[in-house]
Amino acid sequence: MSVEKQKVLPLSLTSRVLTKHRLVNYLWVIPLGLGFAVWELITRFSLVPNSNLPQFSSVLFVLLSSLQDPAFLLRIAHSFLTLACGLTLAFSFALPLAFISGSKNRFDLTLTPLVMLAGALPDLSFLPLLVLWFGPGSVAAVIMASVAAFFPIYFTVREGTKNIPRELFHVTSIFGSNRISTFTKMVLPAISPYMFSGLRLAYDFDWEIIIAIEIATSVAGIGSFIQGSVSAGSLENGFAAILAIALVAIIVDRAFFGTLESWAKKWT
Amino acid sequence: MAPHVELDHVTKFYEAQEQLHALHEVSFGIERGEFVSIVGPSGCGKSTLLKIMAGLDSPSSGEVRFQGGSVRGPQSKISMVFQAFGLFPWRTVLENAAYGLEMRKIPKRERVEISSQYLEMVGLEGYEHMYPKQLSGGMKQRLGIARALAVDPEVVLMDEAFSAIDEVTADILREEVAEIHKDLGKTFVLVTHNLSEALELSDKVVVLSSRPAKVKKIFSVELERPRDRAHSSFIHMHKDILHLMKEELENTIIRHKLRGISELHNLHDMEATRKEGLKKEES
Repeated sequence: MSVEKQKVLPLSLTSRVLTKHRLVNYLWVIPLGLGFAVWELITRFSLVPNSNLPQFSSVLFVLLSSLQDPAFLLRIAHSFLTLACGLTLAFSFALPLAFISGSKNRFDLTLTPLVMLAGALPDLSFLPLLVLWFGPGSVAAVIMASVAAFFPIYFTVREGTKNIPRELFHVTSIFGSNRISTFTKMVLPAISPYMFSGLRLAYDFDWEIIIAIEIATSVAGIGSFIQGSVSAGSLENGFAAILAIALVAIIVDRAFFGTLESWAKKWT
Repeated sequence: MAPHVELDHVTKFYEAQEQLHALHEVSFGIERGEFVSIVGPSGCGKSTLLKIMAGLDSPSSGEVRFQGGSVRGPQSKISMVFQAFGLFPWRTVLENAAYGLEMRKIPKRERVEISSQYLEMVGLEGYEHMYPKQLSGGMKQRLGIARALAVDPEVVLMDEAFSAIDEVTADILREEVAEIHKDLGKTFVLVTHNLSEALELSDKVVVLSSRPAKVKKIFSVELERPRDRAHSSFIHMHKDILHLMKEELENTIIRHKLRGISELHNLHDMEATRKEGLKKEES
């Protein structure tokens, strides 16, 4: 088969440069840079007092040195571990329950309304009780994070299970698949795109929840560091911590969820 | 000797809001190596019958026997081709074709070898590492056929296997299936509402009545292969079966009218088949 030579359309210089180096994918850097520049300018010329908003350059400087400070990194690691535990706990409860709800109608009718009721309650309102029962440490934070993460995982996996074509179950039966291999080799891959988006939502929720708890209890983690810095008047440190959280959140998101999603993209 | 596959007074009720009588004492035998088609009005229960033969569903009374033994649940020697292909989108063409072998715990090297062979048979060599979404409908069903054959079944059940494919592609695929049937000598059972398709492929055409489905008549097709749709005996037989099905259709329409139910859209396929036949008669 011969591929016909396509007529090359005349492109503007900018379009050519952008396409050649795949720079189109990095266009977002321009508005971001502009934002930081505006931040730097309004603080440098004291349009906003530095006691309310520190200069961007000094925040960046603090961030760079903080990232080399083991104590600072340990706080981020602490928050991240709390999140990971909460997410794992939520996943291990939500996945089987959601799968059964998605495949057994009676179970679904019994459980899902309860899950919806529970989901309607504002999660963080339970924090004082959790602190009362478990103290202000990591246990309360992990429980809170897993409760918040449960809902998106539960509903996406349930939806994914309901969307598996009946025919695929017939295929597994015809070719002699047992229960376990039907689950691992058919159901799991079939629901994976739903599961991944549920996990990602849960992950985003949990960063909010963890930071909120750490700020509220002021015991450990990067959230309490922000709280401490701001009340001590060191806004540079507070902002540096916020940027550090964003960095970690994005890197994990790209590395973990990005990989999972690009696998799913191959075949969906 | 007992037939290869035998249906013995297969009856099926469904317990829905109102009890649905799908099949009524369906009995016939299928000899080894035979190609049998089951035709009947849409919604008459022919797919249900195939599911029962596959062991995916169980009869309310009566039984299906395969090589003399009662079929209760899927059999390793009975394989199936599905109407909507039933492929796993996350598996490549090769992995899909090898699925049945994988479930039978065949070592990887061996199952790659075997499934490649069947992919070649259906003309999918060179597509091994593509995903189903990259294939056309006809190619997807070729893959479905390769997967069904790779487990070396004795009986291949086909549920409306050509009806989700465009007509020209389906025509070519039917010829290839006829070829495969001739070469491999396996027993094939095809459920279809396409009468020409049934006559082109089968040794025997089982005509079912509308619900509850009973065996209306069994036609033996003793025409030379490859079948010529323009041959006068082909046209005659087509006309006879159509006449029978038209009768059934009319019965159904009257019954539905009496019941005041507007399920007539179910009958559109039948009507289309009839028109197609009339057109053929004219030409």
